[in-house]
Amino acid sequence: MLDVKDAISADDYVDPITADPREFAAKVNAWVPHDIVLKDAWFPLAHSFAVTDKPVRRAIYSQPFFLWREGGTAVAAEFHPADADKPTKSHYSDDAARYPVIEKYGYVWCWFGDPANAAPEHIPSIPYLPEDGGLPLHMLGTVRFDCTAPLSLENLIDLTHADFLHADVVGDEKMDKETVEVFHDSETITMVRTCVNKSVAPIMKIFGGVKVDVQQVRQVIRIYLRSHAAIAYGRFSPGDNVQLFHPCVPETRDRTRLDYAINTTNVKKTNLFRYMMPKASYKVSRQDSYMTSPQSPRYMNPEKRKDLHSPLDEAGQKYRVLMLALAERQAQGDFAYRDNVSADCSQIIGYDGK
Amino acid sequence: MAEAWWAVARSEEVTSAKPINVDIGNQPVVLWRDAQGIVRALEDRCPHRRTPLSLGCVLGNGMIQCGYHGWTYDGATGHLKDIPNLKSDVKFPPVYRAIPFAVSETGGFVRVCLDANAPAPLPAAVTLPLCGTVNVALDHEHYIAALFDDPSAVIGIRGVRFTPYLLAELAEHEGKLVLERSCQWAGLHWPSPFSSDFPITLRISTDPVTGECDLLLRDDGFHPLLSATLAPVPAARGVTQIRWRAKLSDNRPGMRAKLLGAGPPFFVRSNIDGAALRVLKPSASIHAATLRNEIAARTAAASAA
Repeated sequence: MLDVKDAISADDYVDPITADPREFAAKVNAWVPHDIVLKDAWFPLAHSFAVTDKPVRRAIYSQPFFLWREGGTAVAAEFHPADADKPTKSHYSDDAARYPVIEKYGYVWCWFGDPANAAPEHIPSIPYLPEDGGLPLHMLGTVRFDCTAPLSLENLIDLTHADFLHADVVGDEKMDKETVEVFHDSETITMVRTCVNKSVAPIMKIFGGVKVDVQQVRQVIRIYLRSHAAIAYGRFSPGDNVQLFHPCVPETRDRTRLDYAINTTNVKKTNLFRYMMPKASYKVSRQDSYMTSPQSPRYMNPEKRKDLHSPLDEAGQKYRVLMLALAERQAQGDFAYRDNVSADCSQIIGYDGK
Repeated sequence: MAEAWWAVARSEEVTSAKPINVDIGNQPVVLWRDAQGIVRALEDRCPHRRTPLSLGCVLGNGMIQCGYHGWTYDGATGHLKDIPNLKSDVKFPPVYRAIPFAVSETGGFVRVCLDANAPAPLPAAVTLPLCGTVNVALDHEHYIAALFDDPSAVIGIRGVRFTPYLLAELAEHEGKLVLERSCQWAGLHWPSPFSSDFPITLRISTDPVTGECDLLLRDDGFHPLLSATLAPVPAARGVTQIRWRAKLSDNRPGMRAKLLGAGPPFFVRSNIDGAALRVLKPSASIHAATLRNEIAARTAAASAA
């Protein structure tokens, strides 16, 4: 039951990436991520384990969400049950001020948008997370960024930053060859980075038992645009694959919550990497925040000066344009999903189930 | 600024014993209580020789007398009533007056409006018992921006640590600028950047013109723990005068909440760390000016209609 509205027919859709190059460049440089508020999307607001009988509070673009369980089933409401001074209900919840909720992949997902448009088919595909959850707690965690969510994701999809900002975790820029490929549809963007003979990630050398100095790397970042959720899948040879789910929930337009999952069940139980890799998020997130926190206010208002770009920024540029295109469509009243985000993306990201 | 009601004093500060001087921007104002206990406000300038009336005294009849030549003014109208050395009952023409300002006293604050004919503000429901006054060498706009961006720069709540994380960004609600910030109890705990949930929040609701703020600290069960009103007023030389009042809730679940009452629970900083302020990232405050302009435009349009 894919929700395809007839506000604008599918035939009218023009791929914003392949349209006029000058228009593309103009959009890249008109990037004010702070102004983008996408609706009709599922957001993973909490790990399943965090939702109990006692309400916990979350937010999407300042819209309050209170999550708890009733008879074991996760529910979400606009008001805290103890809030006697209930303000006026918004149009994001139903008559009982409840939001649509789905529990999948070990997360409680809530719908932000018109409740009538909520459909399970709009939950992103995450091939390496078990649909019924159940990952050990040490593979889950929360980190926060005081920056706007699209900047967090633009940061993620540009993996060249990792060679400098996170060199002490994932390795530096030394390698023989690097290629970046970018694929997209109207709802997703996927970046594939292939590195030949890249310096070994220190975390793999220290904890993962990788003894050599270089490794072959294929890293994939796939962003589900509306949900601001990314999957980061890395294949390392020698080394273990990294399977990260990286949802950037925009709690406000300038604050991002990341309830991550790093599935290291593929790593031997005797290998420390299985336990240390999920904890690397604490270090990596602070390194990212060191840059994105001061960066964020500088993207809050339109600027006449254009950002400069390199060929390695292709993914980031396209991400900007796709997000702006979605925002423009929604501004015109078109909230339909033109592409299926729940279709298994294993092949796209190169995940073979191992 | 002319039509706003500025909380220029706490009720306790204004007496009939001695007039006090306050500022609203570059406008000096003298305050005192008359014989009926009503607070009066005039320009703090004797029209005779421009000396501050606040250097004078309050007479037994409740009028204010300039300390230089004894010219005496009625607080309600500002009219000159007496020049003692004339030793006559001469009536003075209406032009012999100090400029009067509108005054309202409610909720433990004395508010002044520079427009003497302004309608009185709505009365406050309660008077918060804890109070104080602080002068800060930071201008009004930046003071409020600092409160939005990092409350710890300007205020403190006993045992509470403000995090950088917001549950609601600055937005307009019923004519006020409102945001809600996640907070932690002070002491050893999981660092805020890695915390899933926070036990308390601080809601700041701000008047778009005066910057007067209602603060509400509440726990994750929505129990109010502490209420405070912070009234920053622009004063001379870029100084901001802050009057504040606060009240701890009687029912505060949990040990940490109860410890709020183990000492002064709320304070306003008189010294602001310039080095920290300089590098304080503008974030929550960044759209404040736009929001204020939108509210002002809407208010003006409504008035015109």
